[in-house]
Amino acid sequence: MLEAADDFAWSRVADIAAAVAAGRTGALRVVEAALARIRARDPLINAFTAVTEQRALHRARALDAARERGQRLPALAGVPFAVKNLFDVVGLPTLAGSKINRDASPATLDATMIERLEAAGAILVGALNMGEYAYDFTGENAHDGAVHNPHDRARMAGGSSSGSAAAVAAGLVPLALGSDTNGSIRAPASLCGVFGLKPTYGRLSRARTFPFSASLDHVGPLARSARDLALAYDAMQGYDPDDPVCAERAAEPAAALMERGAEGLRVAVAGGYFKPKTAETVYAVDSVAAALGANRDVIIPQAERARSAAYIITASEAASLHLDRLRARPRDFDPAVRDRLIAGAVLPASLVVKAQKFRRWYQREVVKLFAEVDAIVAPTTPCTAPLIGQQTFTFDGVELPVRPHLGVYTQPISFIGLPVVVIPVPLAPLPIGVQIIAAPWREEVALRLAYALEAKGVAAAPRPSE
Amino acid sequence: MPGKAKTAAKAKSPARRARDATDALIAASAQSLRLPIDPAWYPAVRSNIQLLLKHAALVEEFLLSEETEPAPVFRA
Repeated sequence: MLEAADDFAWSRVADIAAAVAAGRTGALRVVEAALARIRARDPLINAFTAVTEQRALHRARALDAARERGQRLPALAGVPFAVKNLFDVVGLPTLAGSKINRDASPATLDATMIERLEAAGAILVGALNMGEYAYDFTGENAHDGAVHNPHDRARMAGGSSSGSAAAVAAGLVPLALGSDTNGSIRAPASLCGVFGLKPTYGRLSRARTFPFSASLDHVGPLARSARDLALAYDAMQGYDPDDPVCAERAAEPAAALMERGAEGLRVAVAGGYFKPKTAETVYAVDSVAAALGANRDVIIPQAERARSAAYIITASEAASLHLDRLRARPRDFDPAVRDRLIAGAVLPASLVVKAQKFRRWYQREVVKLFAEVDAIVAPTTPCTAPLIGQQTFTFDGVELPVRPHLGVYTQPISFIGLPVVVIPVPLAPLPIGVQIIAAPWREEVALRLAYALEAKGVAAAPRPSE
Repeated sequence: MPGKAKTAAKAKSPARRARDATDALIAASAQSLRLPIDPAWYPAVRSNIQLLLKHAALVEEFLLSEETEPAPVFRA
């Protein structure tokens, strides 16, 4: 149901599309409301780096005209969405959160994921702030400023898809795209209290997105409900020859399966390394486990070593990507990013290959777990949103730096490309996410469980007070 | 004088020696990769490379067979 006749800020993707398709409202009206809300609220959140107003209005008018001509509108008709600014958008330089890329030529083609969402009727309204070159878990950007958490604007949104999570959490758009190399969809989804899907490595095309660490990069949607994630995911699936990593698999639609919920699915909780260590993660994981009847633990073997290996591969691949920029414009990087990239460039290649060999072993061992369970529950971030600028936090009785440790639970999972849905547990005063991890190519399992948790009231994207 | 040099070398703590070795690695790599590094960046770069080497040591101590293929496999 649409909430109010003139404000779609908190409406679901499916409800907006149904209302537009049936002519109960117009795409133009939905888009104008989104643009007005971005103008009014974004100065407080800092999620957007560009608003594609003319493009959005043009597309909305075209959709409304098509409906008036009697055409049947597609599944996401009139749904406003925005993308992390590492997705190519025609006419904009692809910033990837950097100062250096501002000098790049404007993109001449949209990223494949934008093309597919627009083919399904969704309407791009802008590009979103992010951590520089995606090497970030905090959402603090040295050039565009920090993204503010909509639940407490003094706090981090999480990164690197900071603008994507904050824009959805603040009701600026019902749907956003982000990227996830080590946790960059999942960490901000957790801190901002929204749903996020990091699909299987190779499932969704990364064509015409600015890379970070090629063997670890994924793209995926963030939204305020599990069904909304599934609708966007279904619209984006399918082989794309423009991304050499994109698997030659037919689309495997998930939205139609959602109402099966948890029926017949075996769920376990990740123990050992993933055992929650803070009050908020203990509560969130216990609530999810109880709701899903997960009464057994599994041990993901060598998870700490997996995080180390992911750390090494990321540093090395990212350094290789940025080597020319490090030579030519080292002072134009965020120093915190530059210094890590230089370290990655210095790291001997023999150690990186060792990490890739370990990755092969680890992937085979972890996949064996899915013979006995369909999904594994684990924390997403070790804490709720830290304060912007906060340098350390206490974890398991030890004071640790915030920046690298927000990914402590996400890195060992994306390292081997497993699909994950992050569900928000609406704790007060701040939400926190829980990872629902499935076997490779079984996104629908994680989405069904997310849907079941939402139906039971355990998962919900809380509406911030304004 | 040889005696004095020996005393100075002895005085270097393990931490100092590790720091010097890391700095030498950074300097040599930067030169061969043609990376300009401001001396002011050394402490942060050093701390990052030491962290990476710590992670690498954890990975390295896990014994794998020589036949284990690295994860990304090229297919012709």
